[in-house]
Amino acid sequence: MNESQIDGAIITFFSTSSAVGKTLIGINMASELAREGYSVCLADFDLQFGDVKNYLQLNTDYSITTLCDTMKTNSSHPLTPLLATYTYNNISFQVIPAPQKLEEAYTLEPDSIIDVIKKLRSQYDYIIIDTTSMFSVLNLALLDISTIVTFLGIVDFIPTIKNMKIGNDTLNTLNYDANKIRLVLNRSDAKTRIDLQDVVRILGDNFYHILPNDFESARQSIATGIPLVLSDQKSDLTRALQSLVSKYTNKGYMSTYKDKSSSWISKFFG
Amino acid sequence: MMMHNIMLVEGNRLMLEQLSNIINNTENVKLVARYQDANEALGQGIVFTPSVILLDADHQDSIRVLEEFSRVFPNAAIICTGEKWHAESSSLYVNAGAKCFLVKPFSSDDLTEAIASFSNSTFNTTSKVITFFSPKGKSGKTTLIANLAMAIARRSNSTVGIIDADLQFGDMALFFNLTPKSTIVEAARDTDFLSPVSLNSYYVPLVKNVSVLCGTKEPSLIDRVSIPALESLINMSKNLFQYLLIDVPAGFNPTSIAAAEMSDITYIVSMLNGGYELQHIQRALEIFKCWPDYQKRVKTLLTRVEPCTITAQKQLADAIGYPVEGIIPNAFLEISDAVDDGHMALDLNPNSILSQRINFLAKKIIMNKQDDEDDF
Repeated sequence: MNESQIDGAIITFFSTSSAVGKTLIGINMASELAREGYSVCLADFDLQFGDVKNYLQLNTDYSITTLCDTMKTNSSHPLTPLLATYTYNNISFQVIPAPQKLEEAYTLEPDSIIDVIKKLRSQYDYIIIDTTSMFSVLNLALLDISTIVTFLGIVDFIPTIKNMKIGNDTLNTLNYDANKIRLVLNRSDAKTRIDLQDVVRILGDNFYHILPNDFESARQSIATGIPLVLSDQKSDLTRALQSLVSKYTNKGYMSTYKDKSSSWISKFFG
Repeated sequence: MMMHNIMLVEGNRLMLEQLSNIINNTENVKLVARYQDANEALGQGIVFTPSVILLDADHQDSIRVLEEFSRVFPNAAIICTGEKWHAESSSLYVNAGAKCFLVKPFSSDDLTEAIASFSNSTFNTTSKVITFFSPKGKSGKTTLIANLAMAIARRSNSTVGIIDADLQFGDMALFFNLTPKSTIVEAARDTDFLSPVSLNSYYVPLVKNVSVLCGTKEPSLIDRVSIPALESLINMSKNLFQYLLIDVPAGFNPTSIAAAEMSDITYIVSMLNGGYELQHIQRALEIFKCWPDYQKRVKTLLTRVEPCTITAQKQLADAIGYPVEGIIPNAFLEISDAVDDGHMALDLNPNSILSQRINFLAKKIIMNKQDDEDDF
C-alpha cells in the first residue's frame, strides 16, 4: 500500500465561548504527539486574533495566507517547506500560523483553507486545528473534515453553560458519528457555584475527559513559550493532558519514554 | 384615559375606508374628520379641533404639506403614514413637525402605541449609538453593557435601548432572566413593515427607561438577520432611544462592522487574562484607523483590571499606545452570583469599585452626548 495515500487524523478544537483553553490544549496536544514520535502539524484558524504564534513565540512570516496563495498559483507545489517549525529539546512540529495582517483574514476563502488541509493530511500523522468560538462557514467545513472534534467547555457561570448546551445541540444536528465529538471539560475545579452533575444533566452527555484547573502553570507556559508537556515540571494538568492525548493515539500514555537525545524516533523527527 | 380626536387625511379612497375602520375600532380615539384632499383638510379641519392628525406622506410634496399642517394645527400631534419607513426621510418629517411615522395599514395596537409614545415623551431626534466590539470574545461586555445602560438611564433620566446583536451566543436575555416573545430575528423579519413606533413593541422593557432587543435563540437563526435589516433596526431604534448600546459578535464580521460604522462611539472591550489581549487591541485598532476620525470614535475599555487604579490605566494606555477610556475591576464572583440567580449585578453595593467605575463611564458618555448637542 502506498504510504502517501494514507490520510492522517484531523483533530479540531472547538468551543462556544472564548478563553476556554482551546489554544493552550491544542498546543500541548501537538507537543505531546510530537514527543511520542508522530509527525504533527498545528494549524491556527482563529484567523483574526490567533494566538498560537504568540504562545509559542514563533518568529515567522509564513502563514495560512502563504499556503492558500501557493495552492492557487501552483497546486502541485509542496506545502511543507512553507510551514513554520517549533522546536524545543529536539522535539519539533510544524505550525500554520494565522495571517500576519488582520485584513488578510477577511479575504481568505474557507474553500482554499480546506484545500490546504486536504493536501497536508496525507503528509502528517496528526493535524491539530485551533478555531474561533462560532459556527462560521469555515468552522463548519473544518468540523466536517475532522476525524475528531474536541468540544471544549468550562464551567464558570450560567451563560457559558447555556452556550455550551446550544453548541452541543447544534453539533448534534450535524449528524456526525457519536464518537466523533468528544466533550472535554477544562478547569474543572475552578471557583464556581455550579455543580458538575447539573452540567452533565443539562448537556445530556458525559464528559469524555476532564482537565484540572491550573491557571498558574498555564500562565507560565504562555509567558515562557514552552508547552506544559515539554517542560520539566510535571503538574496534574500536564498528566491530565498527556492522558487525553493517549486516548487519541490508541496506545496509552508512554510514561517511560527513552531519553530524548538517544531516542530512535528523534533521528527521524529531530 | 384621555380621549384623542383624530383627523385622517388619506389620498387613496380605499385606504381611507380601511384606515377609518381601524380608527373606529381603536379604544380611546375618535375619528372626528376625514379627507381625501389635503387642502380641504387644511381649510376645514380646524373646526373639528383634532388632537391627532394622520397625514398621508406618500407623495412628492409631503414635506411642504406637512409644514403647512404643523403651522395651521400647532396643538395637534401629526403622525405621517406611508407604505414604508425610510431612515432618510424620517428626520425630514420630524424636522417638519411630525411626531412619528406609521406604516399603512397600521393596526389598532400600532396607533395606540404611537399615541402613547409621544404622550409620554417627545419623539427622539438625537441619539448616541455605541457599539461594544471585542476582538476575541469573553470580554465581560455583556455585563458591562447591561450595567452601563442602567447607570446612564438613572443618571441622565434618558431612554436607553440595548440591541443584542451577538447573534450566535447573545446572553442579554439570560442576564436579565427574560424569556422574550420577540427577538432581533422577528424584528429583522418584519423590518419592511415596521416603523420606529411599532418596533418598540419588539423591545422588552427591563426597568424604567431601559429596554432590550434580545438576541437569537439558536445559532442557526443568524442567517435570518441580514445586514440591511440590522441597519434598518438601528436606524429606527435611534428614534426610540436617546442612547443605543449594541452588543456584537467577537472579531471583525459583517455584523460588528455594520454596527460600528453606524455608531458614534465604538468601544473595543477586552478582558485581561494574562495572554496577548493588549496585542489584540492593537491589531483591532490598526483596522479602525482607516476611519479618518477614529480617534474620536474608537475608544478602549479593559475589564478584569487588578488593581483597578489610575496608575494601572495609564500603564495599560502606554502599553497599547492608545488612550484607555475606562477600566473595570475583576468582579467575577459578584457578577456570576448575581447572574446565576437571574438578576443583575447592579443591585450590589453601590460603593463597590465595580459600580463606581461603571458610573464614571456612564458620566463620560452622557457628557460626550451633551457636548455634541451643544455643537449644533
